Amino acid sequence: MAERKLILEHAHDPAYRTLDGYLAKGGYEALKKALKMERQAIIDEVKTSGLRGRGGAGFPTWIKWNGIPKEKSDKLHYVLCNADEGEPGTFKDKQIMEQTPYLLIEGMTIAGLATQGDRGYIYIRGEFIDAARSLRNAIDQAYAKGYLGKNILGSGRDFDLFIHLGAGSYECGEESALMSSLMGERGMPRLKFPHAPLPTISGLWDSPTLINNVETYACAPFIIKNGGEWYSTLGASTKNSRGTKIFSVSGHVNNPGNFEIEFGTSLKELLEMAGGVKGGKLKACVPGGSSVPIINAEAVDRAIIGYEEMADVKSMVGSGGCMFLNEHTCIVTFIWRTALFYANESCGKCTPCREGTRWMLQILDRIRQGKGQQGDIELLEEVCSQIDGRSFCGLGDAAAWPVQGAIRVFREEFEYFIANGRSIVTSEPSLVMAP
Amino acid sequence: MAAATQIETVTITVNDLELTVPKGELIVESVKRLGFEIPIFCYHPRMKPVGMCRMCIVEVGFKQPDGSVRKMPKPQAACTLPASEGMVVYTDTEAVHRDRKGVLEFLLVNHPLDCPICDRGGECPLQNNTLFYGPSTSRYVEIKRHLPKAYPLSKYVTLDLERCIQCGRCVRFTEEISGDSQLAFRFRGANMQPSTFGLMEFESKFSGNVIEICPVGALTSSKYRFRARPWDLQTRPAICTNCSNGCNVWMDYRVDKVVRINGRTNEAINEEWTCDRGKFGHDFYNSPDRLNVPLVRRGTALVETNWSEAYSDCIRAFTSSTNTAGLGGNANSNEDLFAWKKLFNEGFKSNELDYNWTKVAPIADPTHAKPSIASIEDAPSILVFGSSLADELPIVFLRVRKAWFKNGAKVIVAHDQATDADSFAELVLNYQPGTEATLAQALADAKAGKSVEAAAKLTGVPAEKIAAAAAHLTSSTAIITSHELLNRPGAHDALGALKGLGELRNYALNANDQGAAEIGIGTGTKRSAQILADARDGKLDALWLLGVDPFEVCEDHDLVQAALENVAFLVVQAHTKNGAFPYASVVLPMTAPAEADGTYTNADRHIQRFGAVLPAKGEAKPAWKAFSEISLRLKPGRPWFNADEVGRALGAEVAAFANHSFNQLPTEGLPLV
Repeated sequence: MAERKLILEHAHDPAYRTLDGYLAKGGYEALKKALKMERQAIIDEVKTSGLRGRGGAGFPTWIKWNGIPKEKSDKLHYVLCNADEGEPGTFKDKQIMEQTPYLLIEGMTIAGLATQGDRGYIYIRGEFIDAARSLRNAIDQAYAKGYLGKNILGSGRDFDLFIHLGAGSYECGEESALMSSLMGERGMPRLKFPHAPLPTISGLWDSPTLINNVETYACAPFIIKNGGEWYSTLGASTKNSRGTKIFSVSGHVNNPGNFEIEFGTSLKELLEMAGGVKGGKLKACVPGGSSVPIINAEAVDRAIIGYEEMADVKSMVGSGGCMFLNEHTCIVTFIWRTALFYANESCGKCTPCREGTRWMLQILDRIRQGKGQQGDIELLEEVCSQIDGRSFCGLGDAAAWPVQGAIRVFREEFEYFIANGRSIVTSEPSLVMAP
Repeated sequence: MAAATQIETVTITVNDLELTVPKGELIVESVKRLGFEIPIFCYHPRMKPVGMCRMCIVEVGFKQPDGSVRKMPKPQAACTLPASEGMVVYTDTEAVHRDRKGVLEFLLVNHPLDCPICDRGGECPLQNNTLFYGPSTSRYVEIKRHLPKAYPLSKYVTLDLERCIQCGRCVRFTEEISGDSQLAFRFRGANMQPSTFGLMEFESKFSGNVIEICPVGALTSSKYRFRARPWDLQTRPAICTNCSNGCNVWMDYRVDKVVRINGRTNEAINEEWTCDRGKFGHDFYNSPDRLNVPLVRRGTALVETNWSEAYSDCIRAFTSSTNTAGLGGNANSNEDLFAWKKLFNEGFKSNELDYNWTKVAPIADPTHAKPSIASIEDAPSILVFGSSLADELPIVFLRVRKAWFKNGAKVIVAHDQATDADSFAELVLNYQPGTEATLAQALADAKAGKSVEAAAKLTGVPAEKIAAAAAHLTSSTAIITSHELLNRPGAHDALGALKGLGELRNYALNANDQGAAEIGIGTGTKRSAQILADARDGKLDALWLLGVDPFEVCEDHDLVQAALENVAFLVVQAHTKNGAFPYASVVLPMTAPAEADGTYTNADRHIQRFGAVLPAKGEAKPAWKAFSEISLRLKPGRPWFNADEVGRALGAEVAAFANHSFNQLPTEGLPLV
């Protein structure tokens, strides 16, 4: 299968970033349609479409939309967009926000209509200055033309949209930590169901809050415009994944970038879209962002992109940050770098993640310095199992999975490094990561 | 009090035992009902649960309709999990034990394990949990995290960052309980550390509590550091006598020296908290200035003597004239005060005793409405009038804050300066100094629907604000005032106006001020200031100072000095040399509160026993004993042999104290009748 562009169809057209250009390409038709629809009808369309969260977990989107109380109390309803795209290897939301900002804005406005939202917030990763500028500009134009604010398009419905730049913490991409951060608290995760009510009941400022990923919201206009039925035909070959997904392909490929594909496309096809492997044969792939388990070339050959299908090769779709690694890559070093990231980004709230990520890094550091010991691999596995599922939020799990996955698939590389004090790939440490 | 409401319950299963608990109760509390133990670090029953340390993780499942149990895929933190119908909890499975080992191993990888020189060693939750649940060895061979040790956060608190396990108890205490928000986490991940802003001074009136709730030796007491091992300490229950709240504390001493004071739980008084004034205010016990032999003036010098000679001097001076007086005011027991009054009334034929130093006399009836301090929590609205509560009665301040933080009480603060309670007050009425009575009357007027424009002009508080405040006042409003108000002109008018606006609680300041009032001290014709003035003018023949340093409690130092210089005969009965000492004709060494049995009446008329913790210094005696012995010389008979007998005699004479003698009181004390 080739690329199947919905969101990115006009991404490279600069005019599409202006309201007029967006309207010229059929923009805001979905909103106009949605304004005539019952709230529940919008949610039903999303349900029919089979849309699942694009941020990484793949949670059915309609359940969140449907979870917002139908009867409004005196509390405001919030529509929150997680644009804190920090997963290493992922850069799809950046492109959406920079090049197709109106899809996100329209999607959030539709979500606002469906959930009686009063205010929307887009929590943007602190480094994404360009994305924030683009959104700022787009929001201002939308306000000026009555697509946002009071009495949207004369419908009598109101929806305000704000952007907020984070301060550069990976943890703030975790939805509850994001809400803490947005409310001005330290970016630490909050208690979740069943320990606390769902955000749809009590999220931002204890009010009902809908939170979705950028890409998820950007799908909404297509679903409303063309119908959930139509959307669900995309990716129909998979078990339970519908629509298109943008993959950010990077690593040892000739043509890195974002590729929007239909679910059911094979990972191998995705690699071909990106121009194939550069600098040698394919060795491994991290298909969904740094936190998903790594898979080897053999698994890449049979991997089909789909939430359930990727589990067959013991990995995940994740956020779509797909990194291909060629045969000259030292997996130990790759995992060390990943572990360094997670040790740096752990917020420190819970014991397993705070202490475990640092310990894992120290062990990997020692192995890389040629001071690995017998038993280090088993120790790493143990430390991972003590973090996985025991940490407060998903960051701990996300730190443990890549290490667990790498040891499962490339155990001999770790063994070699420990036994010989050097990489199986090259004795030159400086060449280890080179393409 | 609201009528008892039906508590909604759910049935859960803990380790195959079924039990019914209130819906939403935290599992960590529920399992205790069956006697099961869950190890904890970050959880503290008086603070919001956070689930940070993961020590309490348990396996959880839910009963399915077919009777089977579906376990949740991940273990859950028991400290944040609310009980719900059909929940099945396992605290003792192999998986749980493995997880606990894992968490403890993680906590210990960066812990310095300097237990041999750690203050906490021997009473450390981390040590205990490691012993019972932890791994016996460590697999950690990397370099531990090194951070500054012994950083002095304040003059009371020293921070050892290496020992910290980042449980956040201290941070949450300053946010939720004391409200000064002095501590916060900085940095992240493994570098996360509690800190004051920019490591500036930890300024709090309650900083000592974080030392106690720290589950490791990270926050240590600068005073207690390296002074003792916990197992070398003797610990006795005690009452804090630094203010009239009467906090329950544990007094730790080694040989005969007090080394530490910790909070002791009494829900009616101080829950488990202490203020810094009380927790660290025990230096005088070990002071080199303690008095331990009687002294009499011979010529110009004070010379050591025996009790007999000292008594003779006193009796000669106080029986040769009835123009005598006595002044007290600092932490004497009910027994001391009763025996003192008895001696003066019957032996010296004088009733000029005063224990109170405020400019305006307190309301004559000492038993006027004083609902319990604990009941502040239940008040829907609270008016703190003319009192900087956090300075005067810090633990009462915590109650007020708790009423706001936990129960959403609306707090209104009226004061002529900024106070600590302003931070959470619904309304702050910042009036012009001296306009207390006007403002109080204005509140009453506003409530009665009258115009308050004139009062607004005078007090400087906008009329709308007065009206808004008055709108919050109902008959169940807790109105809190303190001695500070009694130092203002028009205090009586203010109190009179406030009385009709809600439940007035006019709290005493010093330990046993309330007891003195109940016993009838201060019923003479002269108040303390008048007694001093008389002494200054040479109109007083003999003055007895019981445990008080007038230089400390009276602002007019010139008056005090002139009075002490001009009084013909001065008895200084004290446990430590004080400002009056150089003027004394006779010095009688007295036991400090912890050195003799006694009972104390606190601000809300709660009477508590304080058994002797330490031996008396030298020849020092409890004041009541000295009084009893002097009385014996004046009128032979049977003296009192112990504090209980004094208390029974007091009960026989003052009805409120009936059946409240030392031996009759339970550990947690009793309200006065």
